[in-house]
Amino acid sequence: MTAATDSPTPRQRLARCLAPQRWWLRGALLLALGGAVLLVAQSWLLAALFSRWLLAWQGEAAPTLPAPWWLAALATCLVLRPLLHAGREALSRRASRNARAALRLELLERLGQLGPLRRRFGSDGALGAQVLEQVDALDGYVSRYQVQSRLAVLVPLLLGVAIALHSRLAAALMLMTAPLVPLFMVLVGRAAAGASRRQLDTQARLGGHFLDLVRGMGTLQRLGAAAQASRRIAAASEAYRERTMGVLRLAFLSSAVLEFFSALAIALVALYLGLGLLGVLPWAKGEVPVSYPSALFILLLAPEFYAPLRQLGADYHARAEAEGAMRELAPLLESRPWRPADRVALADTAAPPRLACRNLAVAGDAGRRRLAPLDLDLAPGERLLVQGESGSGKSSLLEALLGFAPYEGSLAVDGHELAELEREAWQRRLGYLGQQPPVLRGSVADNLRLSAPEAGDSELVAVLDQVELWPLLAARQGLATLLGERGRGLSGGQLQRLALAQLLLREAPLWLFDEATAHLDLDAARRLNGLIERLSRGRSVILVSHEADGLEWVDRRLVLGTAALRQERRKEEWREEMREEMPSCQS
Amino acid sequence: MSELKSAPAIRLRDLLRLRRGGWSLAFVIGAATLLAVVALLAISGWFITAAAAAGVASMALLGFDYFRPAALIRLCAIVRTVGRYGERLASHHAALGLLKDLRCRLFDALGRRTPGAAQISTATGSAATMHRLVTDIDQLDRFVLSALLPWGWAGLLSLAVMGALAWLDPTLLLAAMPGLLMAWLGLPLLTLWQGSRLARYDAELGEARREALVEPLAAITPLLLWGRWGDVHRRVAEHDRRCLDHQERQRRLASLVGALQQVALGMSIVSVLWWGVSRLSESGLSVALLLAVVMVLLGLGEILAPLAVSFVSLGASLAARDRLNALVADPRGVSASTPAVAGTPSSPLSLELDGISARIPGALNGPEGVSLKLRAGEVLCVRGPSGCGKSTLLQVLAGELAPSAGECRLNDRKLNEWRLNEVIGYLPQQWDLFDMSLAANLRLGNGEASDDMLWQMLDELALGEWVRRLPQGLDTPLGEYGAAVSGGQARRIALARLLLARRPLLLLDEPLVGLDAVCHERVLAAVRRRQGDGPLVVVSHVPLDLPGLRLRELWLSAEGRPVKAGGTRASQR
Repeated sequence: MTAATDSPTPRQRLARCLAPQRWWLRGALLLALGGAVLLVAQSWLLAALFSRWLLAWQGEAAPTLPAPWWLAALATCLVLRPLLHAGREALSRRASRNARAALRLELLERLGQLGPLRRRFGSDGALGAQVLEQVDALDGYVSRYQVQSRLAVLVPLLLGVAIALHSRLAAALMLMTAPLVPLFMVLVGRAAAGASRRQLDTQARLGGHFLDLVRGMGTLQRLGAAAQASRRIAAASEAYRERTMGVLRLAFLSSAVLEFFSALAIALVALYLGLGLLGVLPWAKGEVPVSYPSALFILLLAPEFYAPLRQLGADYHARAEAEGAMRELAPLLESRPWRPADRVALADTAAPPRLACRNLAVAGDAGRRRLAPLDLDLAPGERLLVQGESGSGKSSLLEALLGFAPYEGSLAVDGHELAELEREAWQRRLGYLGQQPPVLRGSVADNLRLSAPEAGDSELVAVLDQVELWPLLAARQGLATLLGERGRGLSGGQLQRLALAQLLLREAPLWLFDEATAHLDLDAARRLNGLIERLSRGRSVILVSHEADGLEWVDRRLVLGTAALRQERRKEEWREEMREEMPSCQS
Repeated sequence: MSELKSAPAIRLRDLLRLRRGGWSLAFVIGAATLLAVVALLAISGWFITAAAAAGVASMALLGFDYFRPAALIRLCAIVRTVGRYGERLASHHAALGLLKDLRCRLFDALGRRTPGAAQISTATGSAATMHRLVTDIDQLDRFVLSALLPWGWAGLLSLAVMGALAWLDPTLLLAAMPGLLMAWLGLPLLTLWQGSRLARYDAELGEARREALVEPLAAITPLLLWGRWGDVHRRVAEHDRRCLDHQERQRRLASLVGALQQVALGMSIVSVLWWGVSRLSESGLSVALLLAVVMVLLGLGEILAPLAVSFVSLGASLAARDRLNALVADPRGVSASTPAVAGTPSSPLSLELDGISARIPGALNGPEGVSLKLRAGEVLCVRGPSGCGKSTLLQVLAGELAPSAGECRLNDRKLNEWRLNEVIGYLPQQWDLFDMSLAANLRLGNGEASDDMLWQMLDELALGEWVRRLPQGLDTPLGEYGAAVSGGQARRIALARLLLARRPLLLLDEPLVGLDAVCHERVLAAVRRRQGDGPLVVVSHVPLDLPGLRLRELWLSAEGRPVKAGGTRASQR
């Protein structure tokens, strides 16, 4: 019994993400360990060279001058080590790149499966940040921390063994302090991590405050309050600086601890070895516990003993960052998109379908209902207005009809259950327009051909004419008129009309509108509603809208209630109501 | 392109100059720390070699002084630990101070532009551009933190090491020089130009990738229905590949240069060894000193390594500086108008329009040939279908948009000859409430207003009841974009703020939207009471209605032509 509910922790998720990259990372680790072995060899060579020279200099041995082989071997070590390091970095970068690309691919696919349901996981801006920034936030963890966290254990052990062969005491000294380092890092690091998270929060708040004032610069200038606002910014920044410095004083302690151990190890080893060579150690007067070559070997290794740990300390935040990102991504990665079973293939037909809903309900999170059970019939060619307070399930009804939301009860299209249909064939019969017109940066023609790639120019002009945009566009560059980001260059109403033109190119028999006029001013909304009326004749229409203004032409109105307040009115009845409501709407 | 070139808001040298004291402190502490790092290694190496040379037997004979080196070693260890901590605190203190200076400076630079210019740049630059403003400012301290300071330290330490070598034995310096120079200057400088050029494109590529994703994401449902999401998918993947390739290029460069630096240092070690050994017998060079030299060169590796990546920070801050300067530059090349004849008109004010035509860039319509004269105490209500240019006319009257034809006169002098910001109170359709308390928002109109004055103003605009019911009263935070209040309330708060500023000539764009009829009268009465007998111009789609109002109406046709001007009172409902 694997409970479907227990979701993996961020760390498990990270591990799963990295599993396909393990060979790259193992290769990187291997190269890094090779570097450590070279370091030992290099130190040994240096120690041997110097002890020989010391003897020669003191005249106690024959002056054997530069041993070319030894120098060549040393040179090889000095050249190979940096190259191995570069190799390690290249392999880690490869792993990071692969892992990020794979995760991004998965997220994009997930978004494609969710369709309109993506809104449950955040705004488009937030989702964009998840797919881009949050995925990139894994980089430091994959390309640095992963390998480094292993090195921080393996390298001190390796060096410890090498040192122990020459001096048990020195090795013990270092290996004893080594476990203290992670301990301190955890103690100080945890406090510092919490503090730095709070600091990031305040930084974001300060940035938001600054941006808020910059955005309203026009207002401030008109009030003559720009100088006052500038003083506010200075004061807020100064307060932020004070707070942040308090945090940093603590946060930097963790690196100071590492620095302290590193410096202490070198100093202690140097004093112990040097005094030992002089024979003045209090517990070993007159004898030399460690001979010169061994002493030099140990001294050369001492700074490198703590180097991987120090590096790990510097990369420590990378792990927190990656885990944080994974936590953010978890809802999207855990989402289980629903799709119809693809068992029944609908024929492509331009005839409007007959819809029959019986006890149709859409479930939300934690047993909540997004749409309470609903009976609804839509005859072919019928045009229905759906209203209701927010939260009454208007959008959920459309999501179920679009084939994205799993539903309870029955939703039949021409007698076939929607859950059994082939989704793409069903969706080909639908036209959908929400608040955001599907208009991308590019020419008007490019945008129209989003919905109909094969349409010829004359067809495009014809539909533009139908939505009353052609005169306006003809005065500019016609079909080649360029639209900026989010359709800049046309007004909101004009963009929605362009979106209607896109619909017209598809010949879909059922049109769904989700608050298509919500962002428009009164005039533009009326005009769009009038166009919808004219162009949707002969099609089925389900129109979700807050406002009923300009929609007097629909055949029926359905009011969804959050409670049991659901009423369906015949045309005549609610026209009557509208007329009564009108004056109070207007004033 | 010979534009009138004003000084850019931010220059790289400012970054250093603004916090000279802080940066100097950080530099000195950092330099002492790094000296201690190198000295600790050198003295330790020298100490054990000298000790070995002295040996147990000769110890008593020669009186080897081991106290001083031992003390030095301890001192170096302490300086290194404390110094590292102090340097990081000092440099961050300076960096945060710089952040404050930069924010204020940019804000002031933005504030010097004409109000219209600010609006234009928010219209052309998307919300993303504005958002980048904050991240760009945060990028700037990297120039000092990860480019300038590391170069300074590396230079100081390299020179110190070279000086020490020359003092020991000039020929030894010659042996070490090629590798050392290569690692310190040659390799990093070679990459600096190429690398910083690469890094400058980071933001652009990132922006293109975001756009490729976020724009279609808003339209995902239709795109899915049309079977076009696959295309989007491919395009995002392509942009992502480009971004990652670019990143890879930079990192490969940094990694390669870093490796070559270490190789060069390694070569200088080998050549010092090779040459030094032959000098052992000839000069005063001892084995202990030779080892000290090797230890120093080994320690230098850590200090020179940051130079290989400094180009990333340099490129990023250069790009950030350019973007910020472009954002701050006035698109029209006009700095805030300093009128030829500065002065404020005295009351009674009279406003005269003479054949005014104007058009907002890119708009289809605007007012055409509007002429009228408005005397003190009179109220003008501008009406007409939406899109006919009512708001445009108001913008002209506010002096924020130059008319394409005609002239606007205040007390018989051209509008731009007056110091307008103390005369005109303009409430456009787009105004902002700020993420501050209600009181702070109101005091933007008048910084000296007491709580009593605020309450009185709120009561006059029928807001007092509502505010008294709020648990925090005047201190209620309004939330970003004033999200915590309804549209009608927000509009009245903005109006209250404007009235507190006591401007004699008021221009109000749709001040009554979202209010019921009772509210209309109260608000209008408050405006007239506060304003005294100054002229009032209101754009409204509902008729103004208040007993005793000297009301005139200007109707604009859909094309922006005045159709019926005069003293007729609006028909009452």
